[in-house]
Amino acid sequence: MTAANKQASRYDPAFANELYTIENGHYIKQCMQCGLCVVTCPARHLMDLPPRRYFKAIQAGDQEQVLKANTPWLCTSCNLCTVRCPRGIPIIDVMHGMKLYLAQKQGVKSAPGALFSKTFFDVMLKRGRQWEAWLTQMYFLKAGPAAMKEAFKMMDVARPMVLKKRLPLAPAKTIKNKGQLKKIYEKAAALAREGH
Amino acid sequence: MAYIFYPGCASEATGKASFISFEAVVKALGMDVHGEIPDWNCCGATLVANAIGDFAQQAIAARNLALAEKAGKDIVVACSSCYLNLAWTNEKMKIDSKFNSQINEALAAGGLSYGASLQVRHLIDVLINEVGLDKIRERTIKPLEGLKVACYSGCQTVRAIRRPDFDDVEYPVMLDRLVEALGATPVPFPLAARCCGGSQQFTNPELIYDLTGKVLDCAAENGADVIVTPCPMCALNTDAFQEKIAKLNKKKYDMPVLFVTQLMGVAFDLKPKDLALQYNIVSPYKKLAKYGVKK
Ligand code: SF4
Ligand code: SF4
Repeated sequence: MTAANKQASRYDPAFANELYTIENGHYIKQCMQCGLCVVTCPARHLMDLPPRRYFKAIQAGDQEQVLKANTPWLCTSCNLCTVRCPRGIPIIDVMHGMKLYLAQKQGVKSAPGALFSKTFFDVMLKRGRQWEAWLTQMYFLKAGPAAMKEAFKMMDVARPMVLKKRLPLAPAKTIKNKGQLKKIYEKAAALAREGH
Repeated sequence: MAYIFYPGCASEATGKASFISFEAVVKALGMDVHGEIPDWNCCGATLVANAIGDFAQQAIAARNLALAEKAGKDIVVACSSCYLNLAWTNEKMKIDSKFNSQINEALAAGGLSYGASLQVRHLIDVLINEVGLDKIRERTIKPLEGLKVACYSGCQTVRAIRRPDFDDVEYPVMLDRLVEALGATPVPFPLAARCCGGSQQFTNPELIYDLTGKVLDCAAENGADVIVTPCPMCALNTDAFQEKIAKLNKKKYDMPVLFVTQLMGVAFDLKPKDLALQYNIVSPYKKLAKYGVKK
């Protein structure tokens, strides 16, 4: 591949168009690059690309940058940018759409946030409610030894939580009508696939 | 007004003290709350949309709305993240007819439907605008004179529906009014609606250390004795991570974190078991001793 070709594939309008069709992706077109979300975002200093530059990269079809940026995984869903954006872009929803897209494209092991979200969802769908102690175990089991090592650094936080019964190890309650919940989810997921 | 309660998953674990003190305060104020939504399910928190998308998460959240509508009662929520998911889904059901019909299509697969007839309200909203500050003042037996409180509303509490709700989206004041009615003194707290880092304790811990650290610094610099919040995630991060962050920042905070209903319980002179202070990680006993709180 020549250098010019490489450049050309880096800025790929088809990639931008693809992202405009994901859930909430069409809002990205509205971004006018004012930068208000950047001064707003509490996680900006840890993001590879703060929201404004992330949206610019998408608009430009800069596949390489977008696919490796950690931006959506750092979004905490604080909603401050969403109430401030002068273009009315629900940035939190766009971030959700991007996270779903990235997890599907790159796999849930591509980012800790993707694996944690998927594990959270699996536990929730199975039981109808969350059971945090189980979620934590499942997550670290799937995340592997390196993550386990990180987890041990968190023991000083976890120990008092268990002692003070903030992290009960016994199974949390489940709902009765799990079948109903599953059917609602499956139908909704099918509708969402049709919708975009 | 009659309500039905959505406790949320944290009520069984990290936010158990919120649940216990909520029930006690409801009783003390004679509020018309008719138990929990029967067979309620997880709202999806801030995580499920990442795995399945907004629409599917909102359909899951809407199951709770449908179940509450069957019971014919408006919903009261104490957890901020649950409030966001239920109130925002409810708002969309009211303003977006296409969304409404698609959610109902999903609900129908489970034999349910939702006519969007309910209101979803945050506990602070109900306390201020339905119960009223006069009644709360009246019920206060032990005014919390001299107690300086950082009122940490939390980010999702005031921005759930993305427009001014029951409070300002950037500088909320309702929690301050409530705390004043209990006889305590709210301190200036510019980070009242800023993020603690949310649920990224394992996935991006440095974010929690940084953001929760800023919240703790702000409370300490403004002379707060305690932090008060309605949100289980804010409470968890500021309480359980406090010692770790103090070590990282080479500081001492000694900043107990109470759920708003725990603080109300103290002012209402409720029984120790109703205050549920045994769940607190940073011990609140010393700072609350002069208001008659004993272990
Ligand atoms: S605030 Fe809105 S319009 Fe401005 S840069 Fe951010 S997303 Fe774009
Ligand atoms: S919602 Fe996400 S992107 Fe927006 S300000 Fe909060 S953390 Fe940043």
